[in-house]
Amino acid sequence: MQKNKGQKAEYRRNPWTSIIYPLLILILISIPDLVVSGHLEPFRSVQIPDYNPQTPEKIELGKKLFFDRRLSGDGTMSCATCHIPDLAFTDGLEVSLSYPTTRNWRNAPTLINVAFSKYLFWDGRAVSLEDQALFPMMSAFEMNQNLDFLEEELRSVPEYVEAFKEVFGGEITRQKIAMAIAAFERTLVSKNAPIDRFLNGDKDALSPEAKKGYEIFTGKGRCSECHHGVNLSDDKFYNLGVPENKELERDPRIAATRRFVAKVYHYEDYLNLKEDPGRYLITKDKKDWKAFKTPTLREVARTAPYMHNGIFKTLDEVIEFFNQGGGMGNTVLKPLGLSEEERRNLRIFLEEALTGEEIVIKYPEIP
Amino acid sequence: MLKEYHGKIRLIIKHYPYKYRDFSHLAAEAAMAAHEQGRFWQMHELLLKRSPELDRESLIRYAKELGLDLNKFIDSLDRMKHKDIIERDKKLAIELDLYNTPTFFINGRKVIGNRPYEYFKKIIEEELKGAKK
Repeated sequence: MQKNKGQKAEYRRNPWTSIIYPLLILILISIPDLVVSGHLEPFRSVQIPDYNPQTPEKIELGKKLFFDRRLSGDGTMSCATCHIPDLAFTDGLEVSLSYPTTRNWRNAPTLINVAFSKYLFWDGRAVSLEDQALFPMMSAFEMNQNLDFLEEELRSVPEYVEAFKEVFGGEITRQKIAMAIAAFERTLVSKNAPIDRFLNGDKDALSPEAKKGYEIFTGKGRCSECHHGVNLSDDKFYNLGVPENKELERDPRIAATRRFVAKVYHYEDYLNLKEDPGRYLITKDKKDWKAFKTPTLREVARTAPYMHNGIFKTLDEVIEFFNQGGGMGNTVLKPLGLSEEERRNLRIFLEEALTGEEIVIKYPEIP
Repeated sequence: MLKEYHGKIRLIIKHYPYKYRDFSHLAAEAAMAAHEQGRFWQMHELLLKRSPELDRESLIRYAKELGLDLNKFIDSLDRMKHKDIIERDKKLAIELDLYNTPTFFINGRKVIGNRPYEYFKKIIEEELKGAKK
């Protein structure tokens, strides 16, 4: 009983959320829409929250923690296990890697440009990187670590004790662990992509095909209705009728994960749940049933497979899905009627225009 | 994949039983005991399929299912005949700083986790192309 109680407590939002969330709503209400719907914007600097200023030392500490397997219960997984730098900070799998003997149920999104996201995770259950970082550590099917234990484990490492003192001026806590990781993640940005040069006035930055693809993206293809702004995402949630991944549905370990998550989020009929309810699990709002976050399209050529369950292996498959008007029962999309050449140009645009400079990571020495 | 690239690629298996599972080491022994009788892959498949039922009695049942010489199999299992090989492989994995299974090395390129056929195919094609140069 005690254990179950503890687990549920761990899944509650941390105190950050209760402060940040109302603030965020106030800010959103008081500032006019900064992003003009449908317009793409070139790269600009990442906004750093006042409560967690960046310093080189904090970023370095965050990087160490990001690659440190101590963050998982059995010492086999670090953040980088599922967010591999060489794979554009994804793991290239339909559903993400998981804690040994378990299975994950959703695709690992890229961390590139994650600093621009208003909501984290496919279901948007976190509203800041600081809020997000602790979830996978606690998750039974991801890193499966106990945070009280983790704090003590890190306090046994003199280099970490020293580094936390230097960076934060105090003891190691889970909040500070999350803050350091968030600081590192804010450095992972897609820069100097051809689209940035193009939007800044260099009309030769895109090939003729990619330029045509851009016209489709912002016109007939209607992609930019949701994929706009600097991060090419509206940070909203939609049910597009993405097909279920039948092969994954059959795996009893994934069924266990699905029931577990639903139970944690107080979904009454979790025992009979056969599909991923998406954002609904968080909001319990009917309109959010099977709705998932609009992902960034920055670096999209390097982040296959696509959608929350990795159902589409290629961009061609994704484009075809949208061209057909999405999946069964969705009320968001309508058939686009794109010709073969238009679909091809759209793909070329996605591949060429949205791929920025490679992010080179020097692997840290773990104390 | 071995059929498709017959004569061009070689598969070498190293054991890395998961440290927090009671029977993972014994299961590695069972695979090697089956190997003695030329049935490594059949046992390997069965172990993955029936996991986590990997206690001694279950392993003997699987050996029976595969038609192995049970006396030889049980003798090998109980004496942990292949302990040295399994320990040697574990040591290698630790030296290489590996913690996830399965982990693959394709001409030195590290791939973690089960991957689709096409994923490996792409890397193998690239490596074969490189080897020709």
